[in-house]
Amino acid sequence: MESATIPAPAPRRPRAHRWLRPLAFLGTPTALLLVLFLGPMLVMLGVAFDRGLLDGGQGAFNLTLTNFSDVITDPLYREVAVTTFEIATAAMLAQLLVAVPLAYVIAFKAGRWQLPILLFLVLADELNPMVRIYAWRMLLGREGLINEGLMRIGITDQPIDALLFSQFAVTLVLATSYITYTVIPIYGAMKAIDANVFEAARDLGAGWWTTTRRVLLPLIAPGIFVSLLLVYIPLFTDFASPALVGGTSGYMLGNVVNDLVLESGDLNRGAAMSIIMLVLSALFALVAYRLARINRLES
Amino acid sequence: MRPLAHRLRRRLPGLAGGILVAFVMVVLFGPVLMLALFSFNDSSIISLPWEGFTTKWYEEAWSNGQARDAVVNSLIVATIVMVLSVVLGTLAAWGLTRLRFRGRGFIAGLNGAVLVVPWLIIGVAGLIFFSEIGVSLSLETITLMHLVVTFPLVVAIVSAGLVRFQRSLEEAAIDLGATQRQMLRYVVLPQVGPSIAAASIFAFAWSFNNFEISFFNGGFEQTFPVWVFSILRQSENLPVVNAVSTVIAAAQILAVFGAWALMKRLTRSEGEGSETLTGLLTGGAR
Repeated sequence: MESATIPAPAPRRPRAHRWLRPLAFLGTPTALLLVLFLGPMLVMLGVAFDRGLLDGGQGAFNLTLTNFSDVITDPLYREVAVTTFEIATAAMLAQLLVAVPLAYVIAFKAGRWQLPILLFLVLADELNPMVRIYAWRMLLGREGLINEGLMRIGITDQPIDALLFSQFAVTLVLATSYITYTVIPIYGAMKAIDANVFEAARDLGAGWWTTTRRVLLPLIAPGIFVSLLLVYIPLFTDFASPALVGGTSGYMLGNVVNDLVLESGDLNRGAAMSIIMLVLSALFALVAYRLARINRLES
Repeated sequence: MRPLAHRLRRRLPGLAGGILVAFVMVVLFGPVLMLALFSFNDSSIISLPWEGFTTKWYEEAWSNGQARDAVVNSLIVATIVMVLSVVLGTLAAWGLTRLRFRGRGFIAGLNGAVLVVPWLIIGVAGLIFFSEIGVSLSLETITLMHLVVTFPLVVAIVSAGLVRFQRSLEEAAIDLGATQRQMLRYVVLPQVGPSIAAASIFAFAWSFNNFEISFFNGGFEQTFPVWVFSILRQSENLPVVNAVSTVIAAAQILAVFGAWALMKRLTRSEGEGSETLTGLLTGGAR
């Protein structure tokens, strides 16, 4: 192909022109990210280290660590952090417990139903989260359908108050909010498995539990870590679900940020709390990412 | 006795799988179906007993200025965000996958970071930023912040499409005498078209459904999720919210199935149609 006519090498472009094409394609998007993503993050970092007007700051920047120390040492916030950890972890475990078998069914058993089931999972995610939270609130309330139903069948003669405005309610709503992102990475990992390995395991005398534990789980571990990465961080920073179905016992760190920033107008401590949550997210992401990578190398 | 047990054991895994799928679907969609059902109940209390069929909550919702404004605001913001995200995201995806230059890693990292940082924190940061520089919050600030968190998603989806498809085809087109523009029109566009279509659907949904950023970066004009949130914070459940929510949910169901049918047609020409489709559907996983 090149033997016929080899075009003369184009003259080297002047230095300035080499930047023109990247600038044309990436100039506006990058400027937007710098001004409206990195900019706000840096401003928030500054505000988190600034003595606020509420604490006698003079308007100019006064470096202080009190915002962080106040937020970290507050016993109430520590309690909320524990609640947040419990709720997020319970919701994550519940989702994994459903997601692993569900992904298995979709990947290996569903046949022609595979695509429709995936489509419904995508639909579940596309539904407006506020509509979903509202729907649960309607079902779980004191006069809600679930309590009405239970009383009619005669399982209880008094409405169960703990259904709504409780940790249980938040866990349930969160678990149903992110299930799509838990299932799909695990499904992806399962699609990559050669189904013959299950037959080989069976031929070698492994029961279903041994096969699951020794063959399936190691192979889908990277997918599980991706799910953790995608889901656990939004779970522990969520604030709409606890605000609407959590009551006082389901109060989470996201609500603390909301109350600091919007209720008490304390931007400085709100910023400090946000930075702490950001650091926790980053640490978690790092660990999950490492684990996902290590596992991929082994398998 | 034996054949029956045998048959049962063979059928059981499939049956268990079916029950699991059915259970998940009931938990995911049951509540929304109930919500829709009770938007037609002739009672201001959302519970049994069933008092009879009515459409009065829909009439009330339609004449409720706040509700209508909120939905219209959300539609306007999501449309603007979708169009700008697709343009900026496709440009950036092309630049990041086809050009070599210094600072590429940094820009790619910045795009990725936006997708990982929780919306709550971006929302709070935006609020602090706008208050520090003295910009008052409005639909414009919501739109800007939505755009910033949404176009990196388009970058991710379209880049994945561009990486999947072989660059040698572009070079072949140029070697065969196509101009740069013809190459883009007849070689690249048909290949990444489905990715761009999927990306625009996700971009619209991300903006329309976004609560956290709208909540922290909005002024007096509310978007739909912010409106629902403020109603539910103030009062008990209201049938009017049921009615509006039902309309929104129905529209979203139609949109997802419509998009699916459209993409099915777009990807039919390729051999691996369903694989591509699955990839696109799941590509938006945040």
